Amino acid sequence: MIRVENLQKRFGEFTAVDGVSFEVPNGQVTGLLGPNGAGKTTTLRMLYGLMRADGGRMEVEGVDVDRDPQGAQAHMGILPDSRGLYPRLTAREHLRYFGQLQGVDKSMLETRIDDLIQQLEMDGIADRRSEGFSQGERVKVALGRALVHNPTNVLLDEPTNGLDVLGTRAMRSIIRRMREEGKCVLFSSHIMQEVSALCDRIVIISSGHIVAQGTPAELLIQSGHDTLEDAFVMLTGLDEVR
Amino acid sequence: MNTILAVLKKELLDGLRDRRSVMSAFIFPMIGPLFISFMFNTITERQRESQDIDIPLIGGEYAPGFVDWIERRGFTPIDGPDDPQAAVRDGTYDFVLVIPEDYAEDMAEARTAEIELVRDGTKKDAGAAVGKAHDLVNSYSRMIGNLRLIARGVSPQLSQPVKVETVDVASERQRAAHFMVFIPMYVILAAFMTGMNIAVDATAGERERNSLEPLLVNPVSRQALVLGKWLGAVVFSCFGIALTLAGLVFAMSRVSWQELGIQLQMGPPEIIGVLVATLPLAFFASGLQVLVASFARSFKEAQSYISLLILLPMIPSIIAQLYSLGNKWWMAPIPALGQQVLLTEVLSGESVSLLSFLASGASSLLLGLLCVWITAKLFQREHIVFGR
Repeated sequence: MIRVENLQKRFGEFTAVDGVSFEVPNGQVTGLLGPNGAGKTTTLRMLYGLMRADGGRMEVEGVDVDRDPQGAQAHMGILPDSRGLYPRLTAREHLRYFGQLQGVDKSMLETRIDDLIQQLEMDGIADRRSEGFSQGERVKVALGRALVHNPTNVLLDEPTNGLDVLGTRAMRSIIRRMREEGKCVLFSSHIMQEVSALCDRIVIISSGHIVAQGTPAELLIQSGHDTLEDAFVMLTGLDEVR
Repeated sequence: MNTILAVLKKELLDGLRDRRSVMSAFIFPMIGPLFISFMFNTITERQRESQDIDIPLIGGEYAPGFVDWIERRGFTPIDGPDDPQAAVRDGTYDFVLVIPEDYAEDMAEARTAEIELVRDGTKKDAGAAVGKAHDLVNSYSRMIGNLRLIARGVSPQLSQPVKVETVDVASERQRAAHFMVFIPMYVILAAFMTGMNIAVDATAGERERNSLEPLLVNPVSRQALVLGKWLGAVVFSCFGIALTLAGLVFAMSRVSWQELGIQLQMGPPEIIGVLVATLPLAFFASGLQVLVASFARSFKEAQSYISLLILLPMIPSIIAQLYSLGNKWWMAPIPALGQQVLLTEVLSGESVSLLSFLASGASSLLLGLLCVWITAKLFQREHIVFGR
């Protein structure tokens, strides 16, 4: 469960995020949709505690992110915007390292790693060093290390970025499985189809503001359009720019 | 605590698999000892050569007394070449002594006899041999002169109103330490060189690979992360210092110091002294490198900063080669300078106070920790974490 209220972030004169509020309930997939530069990544970075908000409140599982960022981080699995790996470590060693940093119990860690390797279909690469991994393989490792402590809340920043068709499909099925497990999934994307294919709820953000949120059906009604794509273009105000 | 260990273990594993880190940890400690072996063996060789020099002589038959004197002084008179000037010029001989025909007559009449020393002033490495020949003639001349005075009932002391008596206050070992001034510098450099790669890889490397952000989203304090990374570099640096010292001890054990007239003690007390003095420097060196490298966005950028940094610890050594540094109370707590002073004292066999060890060790540790603390603060800055 994630709750964001009236979030603010300024970079000098520029207001990147202005009054963003939304809720991400458990057992649902919520998409943070917006064009490039809308403030999606900034919002997520504040949510996972690496950027300080200039105003507003963020709660993860009831833990205030500003007051106790580490406590909040312990409840989150995070696939950040940058997902660099250590080229000289194997996939398994990545998961082990992050498991140790997350404080996963020693006796459980190895079984958990084996499970994840199975789930993410990483058997072939588990004990290979990560230099030379394909983009899809790298994302799997990055996702694996984010999930190693079995978090209730999962934040994914543009998870399908750079993935091919197969990779994208695999990522979708992983996200669906997390929903079935009752997790609270929040992912950001600038691709309409991506969001509509997966999401129970959509939060549309543009120029730092929330312009609409709700189920796909609700958004269609709000915008008065027939397709989500038209609704997206209208709601983000992209049509005015064109 | 567990976190620090996890980070340390990861950095060590990563570092051991990195060819660059391992190379710098192994190759640097090898170069110095190789250099020492080469340098001192050349010097010994040179000295050995000049000790049993042959004395090429022309006209020895005119001066049997002189030839006899040469032999008694442990040198071998040999027949000189027909054309001494050409032979010296083309380097066949370093010098040739030429005794003229009227030598015997001059001697008999107690006039000053001449012996010609043919040499080539441009040949520097012939200097030692030429000097020996010069001494030989001079001492023979002095001996004959004294005998003549005695024969005339005059004390030889009359002809020598003043005599220089040189008193060298430096003990043999002090002189050796001066000679070996580059050993402290080398060990100090080892502290900086061998941990450098891992310090850079763990900080600027994380930024370059885009792995800093995923690392920092773990519920771990920045201090613990940086401490682990720092300790990784410290381990490499300590290993490098120990390996450097082992190499130096091995190389020095193969040089025959007696022959060089140097008494250099490098026994267990000295080795322990050097280790105790230098190992804490690893804390400071790694801390400073971790801090400086954190400002860099890439490995290359960090290396260009840090190679400038390497000059710092060399400054005291360079000054020490020009002037005697001495030992002032404020020197001990300054990293690199303190170690330089300590090492010079340890190697020259002086008794070093425990306080100096403590002051320099504690200050390196504290300054290292200060660098870690600042780095941890840096890792909270958004432009360091995200700035690329």
